[in-house]
Amino acid sequence: MINATKKWIFLKVSSVILIPLMIWFIINLALIYDKEYFDVVSFFSTQPSKFLTSLLMIVAFFYFSLSISAIFEDYIHDEKIKNVANKGLYIFAIVIPLITIIIIFNLSI
Amino acid sequence: MENNNPLSPHIQIYSWNISSLISISHRITGVINILVLTFVCLWISLLLLGETNYDYIKFFLQSIFGKFTILGIIWSFSFQILSEVRHLFWDLGYGFELKTSKITGLIVIFGSIIFTVLIYLFGRNIF
Repeated sequence: MINATKKWIFLKVSSVILIPLMIWFIINLALIYDKEYFDVVSFFSTQPSKFLTSLLMIVAFFYFSLSISAIFEDYIHDEKIKNVANKGLYIFAIVIPLITIIIIFNLSI
Repeated sequence: MENNNPLSPHIQIYSWNISSLISISHRITGVINILVLTFVCLWISLLLLGETNYDYIKFFLQSIFGKFTILGIIWSFSFQILSEVRHLFWDLGYGFELKTSKITGLIVIFGSIIFTVLIYLFGRNIF
């Protein structure tokens, strides 16, 4: 199997997982965005929220990094710039969710 | 080794239609969504710093500008969800006919607006 096929399969599998997670995210965002500090902390402190937010971050950053990498492939003509942009993107897609997950699991009322 | 893969031409050379509008909007909302999720990560990080530091972000989110930002975020995610469902149907081999493609494109545009309103009202406990 060539790399582009693997990338496409990863993209499709992650998008199927991401659709219900994004629905969950926007509904809860509308519910809590302007709530008081303790309400927001208590939302993120429950086990289902910790699990679903962590899963959302992992899958979303994975999916978006693959999608944006495809945009780089289409529009960046210089190979060196494209490689640097892709590496930067992958580091960003690993570090940001990792830090967030550590913070979420340290949150408590 | 030099890569001779063909590259996409720039979008301005095409005449606009529903499919191209949805396609470029799908990419733009994808970029917006990753930026939004990065800010959500920052928002969650601010929770660790305590209530006093959280007041700054709460002040912004409770303002009119904050409410419009949230509406924009909900629309951007709704658009991405519906557009992705449309892509998944294409992957299964359905919806390639020109008429069907136009109809599903319109469903994505108007459906995302309807979804946004319904989700925002649900969040405000209006129903």
